[in-house]
Amino acid sequence: MEMNAVSADITISSEELVSSFMVDERSANSMYRGKVIEVEGIVKDVTFLNNRNTVFLYGDNKYSSVICDMFPNQENEIKNLKKGQKIKIKGVCKGFLKDAILLNCMLINTTNQ
Amino acid sequence: MNKLIILIFLLINFTDDDTKSDQFITRQGQVSFFSYTSVEDIEAKNNQVLSIIDISKNEIAVSMLMNAFVFKKSLMHEHFNESYIESDLYPKATFEGNIIDFDPSETDTQTRMVKGKLTIHGITKEVEIKTTIEQVNGSFVLNGDFEVTVKDFDIKIPPILAPNIAKVISIKFKFEYQHYEK
Repeated sequence: MEMNAVSADITISSEELVSSFMVDERSANSMYRGKVIEVEGIVKDVTFLNNRNTVFLYGDNKYSSVICDMFPNQENEIKNLKKGQKIKIKGVCKGFLKDAILLNCMLINTTNQ
Repeated sequence: MNKLIILIFLLINFTDDDTKSDQFITRQGQVSFFSYTSVEDIEAKNNQVLSIIDISKNEIAVSMLMNAFVFKKSLMHEHFNESYIESDLYPKATFEGNIIDFDPSETDTQTRMVKGKLTIHGITKEVEIKTTIEQVNGSFVLNGDFEVTVKDFDIKIPPILAPNIAKVISIKFKFEYQHYEK
């Protein structure tokens, strides 16, 4: 999927996204699952495990986050991210395990806004 | 005096509980599956598999989103989710079981059997899966592979596509756990 070309169906904060799944997974699935969503949140962690570039955004509680699996072309931008930084990410929401999972993610450049 | 002893006993127990948890977690476990036929090879990988092990009870739990498997061709992804796995109805595959004779203090790589319930497409089967367990920096890495028969899980392949999909699917997993801070 070419994420550049598609606009987000929904804009939401990472805390709200996690909390809506924790409150009612079924209704959150019907709202977000399979949709392109734009998530604003604070960087909790960045990992490069298994050759994936993954950004974790803080959820509304200590145990759950938003896991963003980034496009490979985002690698340089991801390397410059700092924990605690506020960012916006666009991706496809796949659902929730202990965390909300987003695939095909890209950073949305907010510096020139 | 007795009260003091009880107090000390409680303190020791509570501090012990605080400092070490017996649970380990991965949120980025890998599960791949392979279907090889003379017509085509299909391969898909999920990089966001959740698993928790409890080393005091030798328990393991695994959960994954079926629509988070990544295929080389998007048409395969579509068929898998919409026709075979029906991921709208059955969004997750899960496994719950016990690692038989697992010794968490063993520093050499151990090969153990995991016995438990595998649920795919809403159907639950008792399975036994072989895994290696490696201890790395005080945590654990589980690696293994096993096979699943498509018809055991009531997955219907239309006759026209039957030659393209293997009757037995190979599954590989790799879970690198971290200490789960409570």
